[in-house]
Amino acid sequence: MKIDVEKLKSIVGEKNVSNNIADLYVYGSDASVHQALPAVIVRPKTIEEVQKIVRYANKNKIPVVPRGAGSGTSGHTVPIDGGIILDMKRMNRIIEINPQDMLVRVEPGVVDDDLNRALRPFGLFYPPAPASSRIATIGGEIAANASGVRSVKYGATRDYVMAMKVVLANGKLVNLGSNTRVHSSGYQLERLIVGSEGTLGIVVEATMGIIPLPKFRCLAVANFDKLEDAGNAISEIISSGSQPSLLELMDKIGIIAVNKAMDLKIPEVEAIIMFEADGNVKEAVDFEIQKMKKICEKYGGKNVKMSYDLAERTRLFSGRKKLFASLSRYKEGIICTDLADDMGVPNSKIAVTAKKIHEIAERNNVIMAVYGHCGSGVIHTKIMLDPKKKSQWKDAERVIDELYDYVHSVGGVTSAEHGIGLSKAPPWKKARADILPVMRSIKKALDPNNILNPHKLHDAPDDWVKATKLRYKVG
Amino acid sequence: MGIMGKLFYYKKKGNFKRSKKWEGELNKCIRCGYCYELCPLFKSQNWESDTPRGKLLLIYGMINSEIEPNQEIVDKIFQCFYCKNCSDNCSAGVPVTDILTDARADLIEAGFEVEGTIVKINEDLCSVCGVCLSVCKYDALSIEKVGKDENKIVVDKVECRGCGLCVSACPSGAISQKEGCEITLPELHTKVSSLLKENKDMKAIVFCCNWSLFPGMQLSEYQNLVKTPYGLIVSMCSGRVAPELVLNAFEEGAWGVMVAGCPPEECDHDGNYKTRRRLVLLRNMLKELNIEPERIKLDWFSTRESAKLTKSIDDFIEKLEKLGPIKKMEITKKVGG
Repeated sequence: MKIDVEKLKSIVGEKNVSNNIADLYVYGSDASVHQALPAVIVRPKTIEEVQKIVRYANKNKIPVVPRGAGSGTSGHTVPIDGGIILDMKRMNRIIEINPQDMLVRVEPGVVDDDLNRALRPFGLFYPPAPASSRIATIGGEIAANASGVRSVKYGATRDYVMAMKVVLANGKLVNLGSNTRVHSSGYQLERLIVGSEGTLGIVVEATMGIIPLPKFRCLAVANFDKLEDAGNAISEIISSGSQPSLLELMDKIGIIAVNKAMDLKIPEVEAIIMFEADGNVKEAVDFEIQKMKKICEKYGGKNVKMSYDLAERTRLFSGRKKLFASLSRYKEGIICTDLADDMGVPNSKIAVTAKKIHEIAERNNVIMAVYGHCGSGVIHTKIMLDPKKKSQWKDAERVIDELYDYVHSVGGVTSAEHGIGLSKAPPWKKARADILPVMRSIKKALDPNNILNPHKLHDAPDDWVKATKLRYKVG
Repeated sequence: MGIMGKLFYYKKKGNFKRSKKWEGELNKCIRCGYCYELCPLFKSQNWESDTPRGKLLLIYGMINSEIEPNQEIVDKIFQCFYCKNCSDNCSAGVPVTDILTDARADLIEAGFEVEGTIVKINEDLCSVCGVCLSVCKYDALSIEKVGKDENKIVVDKVECRGCGLCVSACPSGAISQKEGCEITLPELHTKVSSLLKENKDMKAIVFCCNWSLFPGMQLSEYQNLVKTPYGLIVSMCSGRVAPELVLNAFEEGAWGVMVAGCPPEECDHDGNYKTRRRLVLLRNMLKELNIEPERIKLDWFSTRESAKLTKSIDDFIEKLEKLGPIKKMEITKKVGG
């Protein structure tokens, strides 16, 4: 594959193209365990530039991997076949805030938190909020159908996508969806792009729904002596018809890790639940929070602390917000790897799955924290291991096989909000063999030359350990 | 390759003995990338290789011989202002800047020419007065004897943190930093001018110290949608806010200028003492010009006091609204007279 770097420079300008190793090495990596080298990084600013680049790549059958913040956990943006990394972060304009139609029009490189900062003066917000919202771009969130702490009440990215401009593999620009809340006008193609991980088209503009900020938010924390009790309390909160605006679980491993990393002095109990209610009528918020508190207490939840105050809420939640990276501090000699990180299970299976995760980890010589937006069925874990030992990667492989077999057996999904990429592809392909031919047909129809983020999702290698070079030096 | 060639090759490749001890910490970095938002360099450069995560990746690649150091990599490693926002906020607790300092030492030992954000001395302009030595908290500057009666200022390229206090302190203008990172005086001047020109309703310019209270880096563009009556400029240490920068803001139409720095005892660079003295003199100067001295405000903020900053700015804007714009004719008349 020979890439005409001069041609790319003529499209986006010399300073927006790089093929020096300092950039290639960095852009070949994300938050996953994978790493591969692209041939060139290109940073477009306009839709026309994206079209020109894609047309050139399609004609010459060069892979194009669109990239937002590179915060993906499963290798979505790792260029397994080399080629062009299309860094979308320069397309970062919030084009329109329209409070009358309750929508925003943004370029794909707009950062989630920036969007919410811009919306705040209007009394509005964009709710999906993944933990990485400080850097995550809207384009990346669409590609992964990101969700987050508020999704238990407000849903995921897919629930806010209204319209989109997408550059297809042949360079053509198409307008998908509409500016109306609902439409029944043919295939919902804008929804097809959600979760497609850059394999079907490149999002160059998105129109997203927005909603009013609630006047009151009350956050509470309850401590539990048994992880299972905390899981059962979460299930009952949901099935009782409560409407939490946040419902999070954190196990003891997570608590110890954030205490070590940030000295937060959270009581090191077996599990904590964080729950929040929001609304415009304080009495209604009080009612919801008290109802949830009672359910927690029924399952042994104690020392319930709650607050309406922003500073106190921020303090109570700080441990959860930064848990992901803190896990590396749990124990000397082991580090946190982004594997088996975001399974989703039905509401009734939270407690049993949490217990099962610890059991599988222990049996296979690794450590796994259990936490996440359990109110919406999302269980986050990470596999913590010694990355230098070959045997630990074998342990991780066994954990992944066993864990996903279990999750699928209880009606769960491989990925709830981070996407499949490379590292989750093998268990997902095994569980969903029936839909792979359909997905491949769609891919072939839209991208016959297989240039858009090739060999991901349904076409990812069957062995995740050998899919690319691992980011760690093993042995 | 002859013996000399081989020697040169290995020297250039480096053995990374200092950096290698950090391998465990580099593995602890989960590469979440949350440090992007905190990095002023990423804001100005917009390449991921300029972020803390990017630098750690490059160091990891070099110590494990996956990539060989070259000038491009060296340039990235030597671009950092040591604001330590990344190290202080990394929830994996990775000591980013300590690792960076060791990598710098290794690369210098390997014989690379370095520039990055390190200060440069123009020997033709330098009078070796030594003022710069007194402002450098890192002992990165020293006087070296070069001849019988001749001395020169030497920069320790590992110890220099790129804070630039010596640049604003040098009476001969002999010290400089490379352009392109939005921190040099001409760049700050341009920023002040463009903020005030693009936003006709902007009343104040607020210079924020990067160390004390990082005001957050907005990575997306929406100035045209949400307008504030003030423009925020991150100026690294408040000690870098030169008097001409303040006066330039007034000349471009600002009703007031505010400087937000660390509380005196908390400054990493002792630059805030200089700011305080400088702003007292500037206020006196405004008085002489028949302009209300309270149009210049200095306030101290510790880290995480963002609510205090917002309130302080709001109070300042309220005051400015009462004062109204500066009557330009009077300045000209007075200055001219």
